[in-house]
Amino acid sequence: MAEVVLEGRGLHFTAGGSPLVHGVSTALARGAVLGIIGPNGAGKSTLVKLLIGQLSPASGGVTLMGRPLPDWPRRERAALIGHLPQHFEPHWDYRVDELLRLGLDRAGRNAPGLEALAGHFGLGAILKRHWSTLSGGERARALAAAVLAPDPPVVLADEPAAALDVGQAASLMARLRRLADGGAAVAVVVHDLNLAARWCDRLLLMESGRAVIEADPAEVLQSPELDRVFATRFQRIPLPDGGMVLAPGESTG
Amino acid sequence: MIFLLPVIGLAAGLLLGAETLSPAEMLALITDPATPMSHLILQWRVPRVLAAGCVGALLALGGAIFQGVFRNPLAEPYLLGSAGGAAVGATVALLVVLPVPAALALPLLAFLGAWGATWLVLAMARLTGRASIAALLLAGVAVAAVLAALRSFLMLALSDETVSLQAVLSWALGGVQTPSWPELALLAALTVAAVALGQSLSRGLDLLGLGEGVAESFGLPVRRFVALAVLAAAFIVAVSTVWGGLVGFVGLMAPHIARWRHGPLHRGLMPRAAAIGAGLVMLCDGLARAVLPPAEIPLGLVTALIGGPFFLLVLAREVRRG
Repeated sequence: MAEVVLEGRGLHFTAGGSPLVHGVSTALARGAVLGIIGPNGAGKSTLVKLLIGQLSPASGGVTLMGRPLPDWPRRERAALIGHLPQHFEPHWDYRVDELLRLGLDRAGRNAPGLEALAGHFGLGAILKRHWSTLSGGERARALAAAVLAPDPPVVLADEPAAALDVGQAASLMARLRRLADGGAAVAVVVHDLNLAARWCDRLLLMESGRAVIEADPAEVLQSPELDRVFATRFQRIPLPDGGMVLAPGESTG
Repeated sequence: MIFLLPVIGLAAGLLLGAETLSPAEMLALITDPATPMSHLILQWRVPRVLAAGCVGALLALGGAIFQGVFRNPLAEPYLLGSAGGAAVGATVALLVVLPVPAALALPLLAFLGAWGATWLVLAMARLTGRASIAALLLAGVAVAAVLAALRSFLMLALSDETVSLQAVLSWALGGVQTPSWPELALLAALTVAAVALGQSLSRGLDLLGLGEGVAESFGLPVRRFVALAVLAAAFIVAVSTVWGGLVGFVGLMAPHIARWRHGPLHRGLMPRAAAIGAGLVMLCDGLARAVLPPAEIPLGLVTALIGGPFFLLVLAREVRRG
């Protein structure tokens, strides 16, 4: 396996007496995309928050480049980990260029220029537009540009495609794939299993706060655990290139 | 244009008064400082107008920080109860014989009152789960009502001299005290310090505008920053309350207008809000002196007449936005 950059071991997290994450261990390796899948309430977002240090585990721990996450100075950690949140709605109506500057602020001296960053994310023509006037796809690109401005070696995305149409979702996943191909360690929470299988190197299937299986996409898609966890009998349709797509079948719940 | 407002406010404040002057009369008084009237203007009206400018700038800065911290365009020192808290602290300092000099007790108790009241409002608003606009405003209204009742009780129970009761009453209704030149220098220095304090909080306030989660992932220690910003705003509100009494709505209007003109980034917003607040209060203070001569109407009344409708407009806009 490639070099592990971010690792969570035996992570437990409890809220209001009920365990949201229960003994999960996982690792993000350089050059690879880890897809985190599972039904609603499986603990995927909580796991992401534990991995980026937004929540502190009741037991277990997270290391970034071999060093415990809490030991990293906050600013350095902010430049090393990029987090694309599930929901993002700024409280003020920032312009795109203002948003990008806030992202670039944490990049330090090696930051790309604003124009270069905007060009890379196809935002050059809308730099002066306000957030409230942007389409869903433009918002996703603007947020991604702000989060990824310091070119972080670790990227965690929590359902970044949830509000996007099919084309925009594929484009965003392709962007995350390119980041990994460029050397970043990427984890992404995805609801669309086909999207996850298409763009990820490994899949972590979660259920009720526990890791059910972590393996390469083909193995996870064929596992009967997938049908059990989602309470659905999936139809597995083979593709000419050797892959497969899943179609939800009869509910077993 | 925004930075011309203090100049316009200064001119209006100097001309308006129990005896309203024309620009030509003012010029004549300034060029001939030997007359009793010019002495009066220089020793009384000029420091008063400049103090009003400082009070306005401080209220605007306090409002800008509160709006940034609570990410709420309706947050302001008066509505959040922090000005009311400062007023209770100052009332105690004015009416109770304390073992510390009044010059120290007044700002200290005003600061503690502003700080305590703000945290109380925030804690009450958070009981509802999150500090939403409605929760924050309702908590602010409730705390402000309790503090006003407490202040009235203290005034009735503790004042045994008519003079001190009158002083507290006129100050509670909002009114800039005419300072001596050394006092004005201190107030000006504190105002400059408040602008610098506001600027130092700018980046954190901008990040908070992205939401607590994103701000945290962008490197902001959110809890510590919020505590620090509330402390700074309470200090600024306390200074403004000690010098200007309870003056409502300036802390709401000035940051709003600055945001409309400049955008939401706080580094540019802070000095613009301060300039608007300074200009606005100098003008309102002039009107307060000029409307019913020789009597003065309370400054807080003038700002409420302008700021109340402004607040309702902003509230309607926020409700429409959901």
